Amino acid sequence: MAGLRLTFHLAGINNQNFLMRDEETGTYWQQISGAAISGPLKGRRLTLVYSDELTLAVWKSEQPQGTVLDDVPQYVFGYAKRDWDARMERVPTVIAFPEHGLAGRDVMLGIQAGGASRAFPYNRVVKEKLLKDRVGSEPVLLVVGPDGQSVRAFRDRIPGVNGAPDFYRIGEAPGALLMDEATGSKWNFQGCATAGQAQGKCLEPVAMLKDYWFDWRNYNPGTTVYGVNR
Amino acid sequence: MSNITRRRMCAWVLFLCLSLSLFCVVYPIYVIQPFRHQGAQELALALVVARFRPLLTTVSALAAVLALGGYWLVQARKWRRVLPSAGAALVIVLACLARINIYELMFHPDRHPAFTAVRDVKLDGAEKVIAVRIGGEARAYPIRSISYHHVVNDVVDGQAIVATY
Repeated sequence: MAGLRLTFHLAGINNQNFLMRDEETGTYWQQISGAAISGPLKGRRLTLVYSDELTLAVWKSEQPQGTVLDDVPQYVFGYAKRDWDARMERVPTVIAFPEHGLAGRDVMLGIQAGGASRAFPYNRVVKEKLLKDRVGSEPVLLVVGPDGQSVRAFRDRIPGVNGAPDFYRIGEAPGALLMDEATGSKWNFQGCATAGQAQGKCLEPVAMLKDYWFDWRNYNPGTTVYGVNR
Repeated sequence: MSNITRRRMCAWVLFLCLSLSLFCVVYPIYVIQPFRHQGAQELALALVVARFRPLLTTVSALAAVLALGGYWLVQARKWRRVLPSAGAALVIVLACLARINIYELMFHPDRHPAFTAVRDVKLDGAEKVIAVRIGGEARAYPIRSISYHHVVNDVVDGQAIVATY
C-alpha cells in the first residue's frame, strides 16, 4: 500500500469490530472492511484476499501440502475453547438491528456481489446443503461441504456454458458432491468438475464472510436476508 | 516578575500539562472500550488523539519538568514542592503510558508466526481454520488461535498479507 509493506497491530475496537494500526504510517484500519479510517492513508482500502472458513479435515484433504499456523505456547491459555461459539452467543452487543426476527449474534454468511449485499442464515444454509440464489445481479450457489459445516459460495454459472447449470446434490463423497443438469458433470466441494462434459472446469468462487448479524448489518445497511426479503 | 507570580505561572503550566496528558491517555481508552458503543465523531477524535499522544505527552512531560524546575527555584519551602513534584512525576508516567498498546497487552500478538506441515499437525480435524491459497502455497490459520491474536502478519508465496479474525 502506497509503496510500503505494512505491519499491522491490534489497536482498538469500533462497535465490536476491531481496529488495526500499521507501524509504518500510524493509520487505523477497520478490520471488517479493510478501510483506513484515520491517519495518513485514510480513505484507502486493503485488497481482500479470498479465504475460506473450513474444518481442518476438509482443508487437509484438499491441500495435503499446506501449512498450518503454530500455537504460541505461552498464550495457549487464552486460545478459544471448544465451546467458544456457544460462549460468544451470550456476549452482549453494543448495537442492535432487531429486524427480520434476527438476534444480534445470529451467524450469517454475507456476500457482496452484483451491486448488492445479502446475508444467508448459517444454520439454514447448513440444513439445506445446497442453495441457489441471487445477490443483486449475480447468481450464486452456496454449497455445504461433506463435513456438514464448511460452506463455500460460487458464481452459479459454468464457464463457457450458457444459462443456469441447475445444480443438485448427489451425495457426500468429496469428489462427487454435486451434479448439474446442463452438462451432466460431477462437481467437488472446491467447485471443480471431476467427471462429465465440464471436467476440468471450475466455478468462480465468490467471497463470503461468516459474521454475526449485528456486525454484517452495521457495515451493510442495505443488506437483504435470504428467506426474508429480496 | 515576583516570586509569587512565577510560582503561580509554573503551577498553572504544571496543571495544564497534567490535564493535557491525562486527556491524551484517558480519552481514547474511555471511548474505545469493548462493551461501549462508539459514535462516529467521538471515535474519530479518539483516534486522532491516540495517534498524536506520544508526541503530545512527551512535549507535555518536558514542559512539566521545566515548570517544576522553575517552581523549585522560587519555592524554598520543601514541603510545598511535594505536590508539584508529584504532578510532574505523573505527567512523566502518562508519557510512558501513552506508548503502551493496551489491546496487545490483553491479546498478545504472534510476532514471529511459525508454520507446520498439515500432515504433522496434531489438531483435531474438527478444528475450524481460515484458509488461503496464494500461488502455489496453501496456508491455514486455526480460529482457536487467530481469534486470540486477532492479527497475523504473514507472507504467502512472496505476497505480504495480514490474516485477521
